[in-house]
Amino acid sequence: MRHILLEALLVAVVGAFLAFAANALSPRGLKLSRNFFPPAPSPATGGSLADGLKPVASSTNSLSATESLVIRLRQQGLQLINSNKVAELFRDPRIEQGLVIFIDARDEAHYQSGHVPGAHEFDYYHAENYLATVLPACQGAQEIVVYCDGGTCEDSELAATFLLSANVPKEKLLVYGGGFSEWTNNRMPIEIGPRKSSQMRQAK
Amino acid sequence: MNAGPVSRAAVEITAVLARWVLGGAFVYMGLTKALDPAVFLKLLHQYHFANVPVLLNSVAGALPWFEVFCGLLLVAGIAVRGTALILGLMLVPFTFLVVQRALGIASAQGLPFCAVKFDCGCGTGAVWICHKVLENCVLFLLACFLLTGRGRRLCVRFSLLERT
Repeated sequence: MRHILLEALLVAVVGAFLAFAANALSPRGLKLSRNFFPPAPSPATGGSLADGLKPVASSTNSLSATESLVIRLRQQGLQLINSNKVAELFRDPRIEQGLVIFIDARDEAHYQSGHVPGAHEFDYYHAENYLATVLPACQGAQEIVVYCDGGTCEDSELAATFLLSANVPKEKLLVYGGGFSEWTNNRMPIEIGPRKSSQMRQAK
Repeated sequence: MNAGPVSRAAVEITAVLARWVLGGAFVYMGLTKALDPAVFLKLLHQYHFANVPVLLNSVAGALPWFEVFCGLLLVAGIAVRGTALILGLMLVPFTFLVVQRALGIASAQGLPFCAVKFDCGCGTGAVWICHKVLENCVLFLLACFLLTGRGRRLCVRFSLLERT
């Protein structure tokens, strides 16, 4: 029994070392020190919050996911926009000058398989890889639409919060709650591959 | 007729297969998570088991690779009992957390326990909770079986510390 325990300890130590090394070396590895789920700030006194609502980034039994998202975004001074507003911004001539931009907060695989035409890739969990292009674009834009898959996906909210912490003015940041799922369901244009590839596909 | 050697051989072959099944399962589950740790991180976050970011990130980033490592050890037949002990011990809290979450979902949605289906973060996508519990029990039993010291055939180094 003692041999087995010692052997297990040896396997555990070596395995842990190799596992952390693999995470550090993997291009998909996670930064261990980063807080990927920062808590939502405490609500201001008074205002529109219903009684008993917890100011944290999770749904309560008494609220829908959308209602919870609206409240959390409002706590941070961010706005939730719907598909009509998104379509309006997509057709805004300012988009050609980079004054209106779209930020895709999904991972690379999802982005490459289809995104809002011209959207900037911004995998929230590997944000450091995209800041050099995304931050200048955000600073030059007047309106920034951040989206992910929609539904219960919280990556657009997390990405918008991250950009807020990177000093992107909150007035510019708009979170598209319906996300790419709704964009696709509405048969909006879809670009595949890299940004501005001009390769388009039809929504199914 | 002497059935002793035959049954011993059968037990040994069964133990080798148990090694490969248990090891292969962990290699598969570990790799699917290791190749996309952000997805695993999001699933782990839903369990609310760690409030300290570095702990949560360490589990999400390193645990899948640890599972792959242990799985490969078993498949190759290296440090078999020590590895089986680790995997068996890991399965206990895994299963507990998954069951606890399933109970929460069942309660919130008014579902029977076995009707709960969700992505538990095990690396196999959305699963029916009862299937997952059964699967984990089988894997746990395989680990316990390997602790008995059988399955020394086709091993690179069955025990690291015992003289061969």
